[in-house]
Amino acid sequence: MREPEVVIAGCGAVSAVGCGIEPLRAALRNNVSGLRTIEKFSTPRFQSNIAGAAPRDPDADDPAWLLAAEALQQARTAAGKTLLAIPPGKTGLVLSTTKANIEALERVSTGRPCSEAARRHLRADLLAADLAEAHGVRGPVQAVSTACVSGLVAISQGAKLIRRGEADAVLVVGVDCLTEFVVAGFTALKALDPQGCRPFDRDRCGLSPGEAGAAVVLMRADLFAQPAITVRAFGGSNDANHLTGPSRDGSGLAQAIHAALGAAKLSSGEIDFVHAHGTGTGYNDAMESLALKTVFGGACPPVSGAKGMLGHTLGAAGVIETIGCVLAMLHGFLPGTPGLTHAADGTPTGLVREPRPVARLKNVLKLNTGFGGMNGALILSHV
Amino acid sequence: MQISTHELKSKIIESLKLQDITPEQIDDDAPLFGTGLGLDSIDALELVVLLEKDYGIVIKDIEEGRPAFRSVRTLADFITAKCPQ
Amino acid sequence: MSDISITAASTVTGADLPAARLGQRFGRLDQQSQLALLAVAALNINFDEFPRDRTGICLAASAGSLSTDVNYWNGRNGIGGPSPTLFAYTLPSAAVGEVAIHFRLTGPNLCFVGDDQIVLPEAADLIRRGEADACVCIFCEVVTADCGKMISAPAVASAHALFLKKGGGLHGWREFDRDMKALCALISPTKSAG
Repeated sequence: MREPEVVIAGCGAVSAVGCGIEPLRAALRNNVSGLRTIEKFSTPRFQSNIAGAAPRDPDADDPAWLLAAEALQQARTAAGKTLLAIPPGKTGLVLSTTKANIEALERVSTGRPCSEAARRHLRADLLAADLAEAHGVRGPVQAVSTACVSGLVAISQGAKLIRRGEADAVLVVGVDCLTEFVVAGFTALKALDPQGCRPFDRDRCGLSPGEAGAAVVLMRADLFAQPAITVRAFGGSNDANHLTGPSRDGSGLAQAIHAALGAAKLSSGEIDFVHAHGTGTGYNDAMESLALKTVFGGACPPVSGAKGMLGHTLGAAGVIETIGCVLAMLHGFLPGTPGLTHAADGTPTGLVREPRPVARLKNVLKLNTGFGGMNGALILSHV
Repeated sequence: MQISTHELKSKIIESLKLQDITPEQIDDDAPLFGTGLGLDSIDALELVVLLEKDYGIVIKDIEEGRPAFRSVRTLADFITAKCPQ
Repeated sequence: MSDISITAASTVTGADLPAARLGQRFGRLDQQSQLALLAVAALNINFDEFPRDRTGICLAASAGSLSTDVNYWNGRNGIGGPSPTLFAYTLPSAAVGEVAIHFRLTGPNLCFVGDDQIVLPEAADLIRRGEADACVCIFCEVVTADCGKMISAPAVASAHALFLKKGGGLHGWREFDRDMKALCALISPTKSAG
């Protein structure tokens, strides 16, 4: 029996460019950056004081919950009556996060107030379970943590749950928060750009941290009567090279892209747009450029990246950047690449600096890579 | 005061948690990175921390440290020259 | 006749680590990555039998990377700052990365936070779906004393590993075989690190 198609029935997001899908769409369409000076904590010890902070209470003890719950609420509302019609037992939830509510560790260790719930949400599986309960989910629940590819893997897992018949709808939510834990860590790795990240730029020198909550409602296509974007295929691989440095030749990412194309039964020539990982580090952007050259040769489609707008939102990145692709496909435009001024040698010739309207995006490729050699490629298609 | 290469090698072994190797087995002039001891970029960053913690030397830019990190001997010379005594 | 089989199983604990001989750089891994790597080594798989890009890794960590998170965070005020090495391991998927690097496995990866029930069905699905021909399955339970205080859980340090492959074999895998610890005890009762 043929497996069902899976569509995206609703989206929700809260990030450096604001709360809601409309602010995200407007920011993408107008190339607006949400990177700002960090106000939440003191930063002289850190390599950069620029990050993508979301509009939320800076003193919240459970920001992971706040951001995730906000995004889920928006996505469920957007999915409307069709989601409500699906029994809770056939509704699942997949969480994507690298650090869950690590804020609680900071609070407890410095003697600041920390609620039981905030401490409980240090554990991604319990955060997922609580989000599921609060959002009418009684079906399968998973907590994915594959570094910065988590979001794409979570979407792929949600689609699998539906294809296997374990659920008819899955709420996929990605969240990570801006914390000293993360900024201090990237400072130790000397991986931050003091000026704010500049993806694919010849002067790029590091990433910018970001935080976001982002959610999509995946649904069996035959249950969602409206035109929608399908989650067509996912391919993953591991570089098996180094814990924090990608394989220099981009072969692992190229392998993941080929796996996704194979599963989607598409040729590389049928991809209309690539949304890159584009962190702004020297190694990542060079590696990604090589991978794209390997796959597309001289015929690379337009490429852009959103981390100069949102920062690197870690576990939320795959979800919120996928939402960016969905918005581009639904509203007929190519997003730009905030932070990019002069493209470096070797970067794709089709790099999009400023947004522009486009006739139709039928198939879009979303890429993410992460520490531990993780590579992920997701293909979305317009029905 | 000249930092002894033996002392430095012991600190490198300890800081990088190298197993089954003694200071005597590390050649003073062998490359630390790539070949030789085969250290990588994360190790370089740990050595930067070691320099600050044990010798009070702050390296602002990793490129500044690159020639010093070539071998145990070049690193010992660098520390001797820079160590605020 | 099962279409997927378990061909090897292993269990390792923190007590097995001092005797572990997995290279000069083993010491730099965090405890969870060490246990995962040791458990996979103890499976004694000849990975040359399969194309490296067709062998996946599927791991669940009961407490995520929280023990390493606490270690890293506790060192933040040291002169020179926190350890860059420790930060690199503040991800449960770091263990997956180390297994991939050590055994040169470039296939698909899955990494979950939670109990072991998810690992075998998801690994089997990778194989059934044609994304992999074999999958290394790992369940890590690592809670240090400091971490245990944070999450009100007892200290523990163990890893269980199973090798799942397409086709028939000694132990056919069935859909309801989800308890990795019980399967390891069944298939490899006294196996520990070499």
